[in-house]
Amino acid sequence: MNLSLAWRNIWRNRSRSFIILTSVAIGLFAGLFVLGLYAGMMRSRVRTVIDSEVSHIQIHHKNFKDDFDPALVMDENLLKDSLRSVQGIQSIAYRAVTQGMLSTATGSAGVQINGIKPADEVLVSSLNTKIIEGQILNEETKSHLLIGKKLADKLKVKLGSKVVLTFTDQESNMVAGAFRIVGIYQTINAAIDELNIFVNQQTLNTYLGLKQTCHEVAIRLHRDEDVEQVKLTLQSQFPQYVVESWRECSPETDLMVSTLDQYSAIIIVIIMIALAFGIINTMLMSVLERTREIGMLTALGMNRPRVFLLILLETVMLTLVGVPLGLFLSWITLAYFQEVGIDISSFSGAAMSGFGFSSMIFPEFPSSSLLMVMMIVISTALLAAIFPSLKAIKLQPADALRQ
Amino acid sequence: MNTSTSTVIDAHKVSRTFNPETIPVLAVDDVHLHLERGEFTALVGPSGSGKTTLLNLLGGLDKPDKGIIHINGVDITKLPANKLIDFRLHNIGFVFQSFNLIPVLTAKENVELIMQLQHRKKTEIAERVKILFHQIGLEDKVNTRPAQLSGGQQQRVAVARALASKPQFVLADEPTANLDSKSAANLLDVMAKLNVEEKITFIFSTHDARVIERARRVITLVDGQIHSDTARVETNVPHEVDKLKL
Repeated sequence: MNLSLAWRNIWRNRSRSFIILTSVAIGLFAGLFVLGLYAGMMRSRVRTVIDSEVSHIQIHHKNFKDDFDPALVMDENLLKDSLRSVQGIQSIAYRAVTQGMLSTATGSAGVQINGIKPADEVLVSSLNTKIIEGQILNEETKSHLLIGKKLADKLKVKLGSKVVLTFTDQESNMVAGAFRIVGIYQTINAAIDELNIFVNQQTLNTYLGLKQTCHEVAIRLHRDEDVEQVKLTLQSQFPQYVVESWRECSPETDLMVSTLDQYSAIIIVIIMIALAFGIINTMLMSVLERTREIGMLTALGMNRPRVFLLILLETVMLTLVGVPLGLFLSWITLAYFQEVGIDISSFSGAAMSGFGFSSMIFPEFPSSSLLMVMMIVISTALLAAIFPSLKAIKLQPADALRQ
Repeated sequence: MNTSTSTVIDAHKVSRTFNPETIPVLAVDDVHLHLERGEFTALVGPSGSGKTTLLNLLGGLDKPDKGIIHINGVDITKLPANKLIDFRLHNIGFVFQSFNLIPVLTAKENVELIMQLQHRKKTEIAERVKILFHQIGLEDKVNTRPAQLSGGQQQRVAVARALASKPQFVLADEPTANLDSKSAANLLDVMAKLNVEEKITFIFSTHDARVIERARRVITLVDGQIHSDTARVETNVPHEVDKLKL
């Protein structure tokens, strides 16, 4: 009877019940939308890190990253022979990397010079897809250079401009070379565009005085989930080198991904607090409106646990009606925006680009967090119902009947 | 204390004061009351004389400041809150002035609710509901919600609800106050019939001369004290009640 009575009670005041179940639906929708938005942003960021910036795994000489000493090289032939037999690898790019100064007639900037094999690089970092002007490097041409849009704008250079790169070779001698800009690239990460330039690996090795060696190996895997396994395999094969996954190469991204749950939790808690107060307010009103009736039920012999349960059941039922509504709303909205995306470039595009995020966000339905969010919403409703329920059982029948 | 196996209510030196800290109102003052099984008693008196407060005390809805109340030999003033609720469920029926049926339940469900609280078997509940609705003459209204019933019909359902738990006695607080003459007469017929046929003890507070006429015992309260207590066999209005010009 409690179930039936609770169910009928919630439809006594339809507008009040509508407010509660709408609050629950909106609370759930807000929670899931925020999670979906964050999940989409993070997924996009991780994809960018893997597909365009660092790939799945990188190998370096143990001390190379300390100060990018060009003398700290790895044996490219040895690596090639060994990597060929490792399972799960899709493509490999061998790079020469050094730091230097890029100068033009009007200015200069510190840069990271990446010597690449264009054919390999296309497979690992899809560099060709980022070219917005000109073309990607040709393996035959030795003094061509790719520059990022941000740096080109800063130094006021354009396609065809001549620039001079100055850096130290492996014996710490200053060397300089003239290069012509054949392509301008742009990624969604402005910091990368401002720092990195690309030249042919063979050209750079010649300037550095190196042969058949590389400073960096970037590896793309067939599947993201194989990263740790392949990393362990490679580390055991090359104990003399440092093998790092994208998480270690891009620790800021790893931090963002790992703290995503905490950020989401904070936002969900804020939404739930608002929801809880809404429920407390409405259910309290419902109890106060029925003071006489609750007093009568107690007078007739309905004990306090039953009265408590009745109010609690009413809240749970309203919540259970609101939850599917919120789920449906979230699913429809997220499915729509997952297709068309949310363009935030008009109000935070530059800021997002500065942190390596795309200004177009494609949220995704947070299926993995669904159960958790639903449990949080239902628990919030239950907790919020406790106060009105306590209020109901504290009513003295004689006092309540007098009202 | 005079208690026997047929004693239903035995109240001894019962007092109840409201607002003792601020402006004390002595609603019930040193009342002694003894009711035997099968009595049909009217509690009369002017407004503010303490009728409802005394009924609440006898029904365990309120606790006296002083005195003790035995219902069927149990001192209800000593019972803890939860035990008292359970005691009311199994021993006392209530009929309220404004019916107080649950609007979202049908007439039948309002009556069933009490028996469900007692954890009675479904078959037993169905049987009892059938009997009760026959007794109150509303067999054709079992599935009707209170809003679709007249005041008199609602109060008859309230009587059926009060009797559903098979109580020893029924307390009715001004049961005819909101009823027209015909409905009041019908209700009194139902209550009188149940009193005679099932020996259910009725005690009702009232201003209504029609109710007082039908009572076999009339207790008059004035300023919280029993002013007179008259047992009658004839149907005339008792002399003391006349004097009070109710």
